[in-house]
Amino acid sequence: MNLADGVQLVSFAVLAAMMLGAALGVVLLANIVYSAFLLGLVFVSMSGMYILLNAGFVAAAQVLIYVGAVNVLILFGIMLVNKREDFAPVKNVWLGRAATGAVCLGLFALLGTMILATPWVISIAPPAGDDAMVVIGKHFFSDFLLPFELASVLLLMAMIGAIVLARRDLLPDELADQDGREPPVALKLPERPRELISGKK
Amino acid sequence: MDFANLAAQLNTGVILPEGIVLVTLMVVLVGDLITGRASSSRWSPYVGIAGLLAAIVALYFQWTTTTNPISFLGAFNGDALSIVFRGIVALSCAITLLITARYVEQSGTALPEFIVILLTATLGGMFLSGANELVMIFVSLETLSISSYLLTGYMKRDPRSNEASLKYLLIGAASSAIFLYGVSLVYGLSGGETRLSAITTSIVANNGEQSLGVVVALVFVIAGIAFKIAAVPFHQWTPDVYEGSPTPVVAFLSVGSKAAGFALAVRLLVSAFPMVSEQWRFVLTALAILSMVLGNVVALAQTSMKRMLAYSSIAQAGFVMIGLIIGTDAGYASMVFYLLVYLFMNLGGFACVILFTLRTGTDEITEYSGLYQKDPLLTLCLSICLLSLGGIPPLAGFFAKIYLFWAGWQSGAYTLVLLGLVTSVISIYYYIRVVKMMVVKEPEEMSDAVKNYPEIDWKLPGMRPLQVGLVVCLVATSLAGILSNPLFTLANNSVLRTPLLTPATIAPPASGTALLDQPSIHSSNSTLGG
Repeated sequence: MNLADGVQLVSFAVLAAMMLGAALGVVLLANIVYSAFLLGLVFVSMSGMYILLNAGFVAAAQVLIYVGAVNVLILFGIMLVNKREDFAPVKNVWLGRAATGAVCLGLFALLGTMILATPWVISIAPPAGDDAMVVIGKHFFSDFLLPFELASVLLLMAMIGAIVLARRDLLPDELADQDGREPPVALKLPERPRELISGKK
Repeated sequence: MDFANLAAQLNTGVILPEGIVLVTLMVVLVGDLITGRASSSRWSPYVGIAGLLAAIVALYFQWTTTTNPISFLGAFNGDALSIVFRGIVALSCAITLLITARYVEQSGTALPEFIVILLTATLGGMFLSGANELVMIFVSLETLSISSYLLTGYMKRDPRSNEASLKYLLIGAASSAIFLYGVSLVYGLSGGETRLSAITTSIVANNGEQSLGVVVALVFVIAGIAFKIAAVPFHQWTPDVYEGSPTPVVAFLSVGSKAAGFALAVRLLVSAFPMVSEQWRFVLTALAILSMVLGNVVALAQTSMKRMLAYSSIAQAGFVMIGLIIGTDAGYASMVFYLLVYLFMNLGGFACVILFTLRTGTDEITEYSGLYQKDPLLTLCLSICLLSLGGIPPLAGFFAKIYLFWAGWQSGAYTLVLLGLVTSVISIYYYIRVVKMMVVKEPEEMSDAVKNYPEIDWKLPGMRPLQVGLVVCLVATSLAGILSNPLFTLANNSVLRTPLLTPATIAPPASGTALLDQPSIHSSNSTLGG
């Protein structure tokens, strides 16, 4: 084993330990703010893995998009909904946790077996390395052109939807005053909510 | 690769219908900006419908003159099957637009944005029906899904709508993640292939016939598809989302979105997983049995019309899956035919529910009692559509079911067909319950909502299109059974002309039997129908 291999092995071990520890923290910690910050750590260590795999562009995109956008958005969300609520402890909570743990372990065992049993084909093409961006760009404008263009429609629609959800609408009382007809139901379903059976009694 | 060469290879003409829908969407969006809310909510539904009809016409021309269906270097496949499914999605959106205008206006929300998002969902569904490559499948699936989440939460002051949207988003995101994991496994197993046609050969070359990895990938992919078509046990979102969404959205989700899901199922399972076809047939059989039983049995206990239709749509998905499972020419053709008929009868049912809601403000089944005295047209239309969904003879739904069960029986799927028959009998009970409620009740048993029924006024803005939609669905549902020959031919041709589904088309026996099938089903129909 030469020096480069050793460095790779050690950094892989460090990154893997960091990622697994942070991921366990995300799931197990009770405080959601810690979970959100640990999620950022998971993303950062994952981008380290990409660098080890010679995929510098993907690593940069991972940091920019997941840490810079997604995770920050999650943190904003948590800060905006800063509501403390004490929930009554659930009885037999360990039962649910044990079941979840068993399902997760079973899934892990299945996927682990699958990964070890499958004869994976390892690509013999040399890694693109720093030319990755050129290769990706060529793909975007040749065989992935259609999905690339459709993604722009998707983003446009997501933007319109976000604006529709977030904007302040004209209040329906004002609408009713203007034309004197019956006031429409204010941005609600026309169906009346169902009466619960206990409410009838 | 120079530019002229690339342009020729792209073969962009194939996505002309989608291009028309996209242009319509932009026209509605920009026109709304220019003319303002008041005037744009008058013309935008008509522009949307015109665009969708133009897209259907473009699809028709492609149907008659398809030479080279592969476009965008293999990303999109415009074969006959995809043309039919794209037509179903576009038509369901057009009818949904007809019944939308009044509903959205009465709830005080903006109509043009609603139409824009609905058209984007349609665009996603149309691309999904022809997507021929993993990346394209995922992007179009997300376009369809994310617009559906937005539409579900469109009544933003209503807690039910918010709950429905959030539930749909969370479950949908989880199922997308599972689907993506499965797709990434397929990518890895095939050594970096994304085109569906190349995946199988590559997997077989790399891994031999079967491996655990392929099966795991298959299970994950099926989980993602089953969520889209709302098959049990991936159905938990359906009742709550259907109850909390605006009713036109439910109508689109139950027909357009489901049809796109079935198109994806056929293309992905048939072309990428032929080496595990026994396994996926087995998994789908389990899903179909569960859907038919649970959907029909739970629908019996519902008190809300929208929830009842939700469970009924789960059950109908189970019926359609029979055609996919048996995997013969007749099976696929019966599936396409069932979806075509289901489009009209289900959308007709939802049009009636919308109309009743707009006039009375409720969708409880008990409130429908005695409706016959006040509104005969609505009663007639709802009765016809529900009876057709149940499969009562001279209506379209009966012929669709008979064709489906006949195809299943021919290929030896006896358990599925018998179960389908039993559960359709159960389903007739809850459909007829509504009809009985409307027709049989004496005037003194009339519900409060019907007693206070408002004057029937078709002159209100947005009512005319609703009436047109109602009558179109009514006519189609009552006549498509008796005059079903064009639809039969369409469904059969869509399968026979698709190279993917009939690899042995060149061999004379396969095409010969398929041609012989057609008259025999007609004769059986006429005897049973008469």
